[in-house]
Amino acid sequence: MSTLKVTDLHVSVTDEEEKTEREILKGVDLTINTGETHAIMGPNGTGKSTLSETIMGNPNYIVTQGDVTIDGESILGKPVDERARLGLFLAMQYPAEIKGITNAEFMRAAINSRRADDDQISIRSFLKELDKNIKTLNMTEEMTERYLNEGFSGGEKKRNEILQLMMIKPKFAILDEIDSGLDIDALQVVAQGVNEMASPDFGTLMITHYQRLLNYIHPDQVHVMMDGRIVKTGDASLAEELEEKGYAGLRDELGIDANLVDDDVDQTADATGNGDD
Amino acid sequence: MPKSAVLALDPVLLSAAKFDDEPQWLTDLRQSSWDKAKELALPEFAKINYRHWPLLEFAQDGQTNTNIPDDIQAETESYNFVSVGKTTVKSAIPDDLVKQGVVFCDLQTAAKKHAELLSKYLFTKAIKPDEDRLTAVNASLMDSGVFLYVPHDVSIKEPISLLQVQDSRQKTNFVNHNVIVTDDNSSVQVLQRTETIGDAENPASVAVEVISGPGSHIKFSSLDSLSEKTNAYFNRRGHLEKDSEIDWTMGVLNDGNTIADFDSDLKGTGSHAEVQTVAISTGKQTQGIDTSVTNYGKHSEGNILQRGVLLEKSALVFNGVGKIIHGAHGSKAQQENRILMLSPEARGDANPILLIDENDVIAGHAASVGRVDQKQLYYLMSRGLTKEVAQRLVILGFLGVVLTEIPIAAVRNQMIAMIERKLINGQRTE
Repeated sequence: MSTLKVTDLHVSVTDEEEKTEREILKGVDLTINTGETHAIMGPNGTGKSTLSETIMGNPNYIVTQGDVTIDGESILGKPVDERARLGLFLAMQYPAEIKGITNAEFMRAAINSRRADDDQISIRSFLKELDKNIKTLNMTEEMTERYLNEGFSGGEKKRNEILQLMMIKPKFAILDEIDSGLDIDALQVVAQGVNEMASPDFGTLMITHYQRLLNYIHPDQVHVMMDGRIVKTGDASLAEELEEKGYAGLRDELGIDANLVDDDVDQTADATGNGDD
Repeated sequence: MPKSAVLALDPVLLSAAKFDDEPQWLTDLRQSSWDKAKELALPEFAKINYRHWPLLEFAQDGQTNTNIPDDIQAETESYNFVSVGKTTVKSAIPDDLVKQGVVFCDLQTAAKKHAELLSKYLFTKAIKPDEDRLTAVNASLMDSGVFLYVPHDVSIKEPISLLQVQDSRQKTNFVNHNVIVTDDNSSVQVLQRTETIGDAENPASVAVEVISGPGSHIKFSSLDSLSEKTNAYFNRRGHLEKDSEIDWTMGVLNDGNTIADFDSDLKGTGSHAEVQTVAISTGKQTQGIDTSVTNYGKHSEGNILQRGVLLEKSALVFNGVGKIIHGAHGSKAQQENRILMLSPEARGDANPILLIDENDVIAGHAASVGRVDQKQLYYLMSRGLTKEVAQRLVILGFLGVVLTEIPIAAVRNQMIAMIERKLINGQRTE
């Protein structure tokens, strides 16, 4: 069993133009073991993506206090590629598009980056694995020969993130709003991919606004994040409770003095979510 | 324009360059070019100051080393022609091509055995010996090279491949001149590899004249990887007659300072040139590439597509020149020059130059100089790729638009392998 542990994490970002530093995470504690599925819910602007990018090692986020460890070893001093090879995977909200590199080439390079030079994956076993996974995700072979995310629709990009997840088989996957921009059918397909990964050696941290995703990927624990902190942790029923009361309801119930930046725009953001075509 | 301070042209050089039993017409060509060389100015390469480079510091006592290294010997099988310095190691084409009248031999042999044919094309149509000092010096001192002549209506399916090795195991001059001619309605693919053996410091002068007769089609690919201690001048020139086409694909992957002039003169109506260049600069080297297409003929078309990558403290300049001569109705000239810089200390420049003297034409250009997108790097690295591998993938992707256009798969793979090697070497010192 492996453990990903976040302790009293404080993170700031710098505003390049205004030359100011703003604290986004204000002391986050979180422990995820392999074999577990966690969900973090919370309104926009509350630091959910900051948490996932910081764990992954995005250089734009500055850790000012606290630690992130895998099996007791701090990863904060390690660059993003090293963290990836240690077993972290972040399914990104906005994956980059890269011309000239095919999806398949990229995935093979990613797999091989974890293997010794004299133990690179054979093209045959790679293709076999790829074939199996694109079937699960209802993707076409043609998509693997296209340039990496180039010209992919929002939904295709999300599926492609999950395809990479299934090919790379990390220890811990952080899924940053993998449900945004997906229609219900695509969501089911993506969830099936994630569920197939379930094993005692795999842990998941899902980040989402909505309870909907949790109908398809069942969490062991649900954490609610507000204003840079985790304010409540519970089981799957907490998500349902949230769905009923809304974030504002929970805030008031807990008596938290958190400023929900998206107090009134949250619901409309959902209505305009673009579907998977 | 200043004449170079580095002009060191001793008459001894002229007599040393002469081939054995050289016919008089060739000696005369050398002599007349030699006489003009001193008066001619160096060619202008915009934004590149190369005047202090020892491009003309030829060894007056230049030696010939006829010992052929094993690794070159081992490669001869993959080529039709192999030379080391002035020594021809191999020159062979299939018998059926000989029967069809194809001429293929080194320059020395051609001057004797095919004097009439060679003299018709050597420094007459494509490159002129008195254009500037560097062409004049190439004409005076040429000491190696190939003559390929494809008669009318002959189509050669298999590429003709040349490996021309600069011998820098000692002070040896390398003044290389090649002439490729396709007569009416013929076609051929040619691959030219240039590389250096040895660590001595020498200049190199490499010229290729490509003359495409009416209706003929030439695919010319080149891969240059001369050494860090070589100061190189390249001149590759196409002379295109009516309805002929030349597709150029050039990989400028030298390790030393380089100036290169890649020109296509679209003389004939309906003639067409596609020019694709990839260049990588590393270390402290400077590479300056002038690629020009001149539309003379009506309905002629010339397209330039160039991609360059810079590492470390290197410099790379692409000057793309599209020139349309008055009277070239309905002609087209397009160019795209893009440069990617990996190091803050590198200096890249992409200059489109359009000179248009005709109204009824379509011309356009695009140019950019940029850095590797940090978001792309982060994304690739977040999947476990090291920064170096991620950079190389982004670079190969950037060059991909040219690489995928390379018509011969073997050349494409060779070019990609060479690019990767050069990038790995450049990254090692970053």
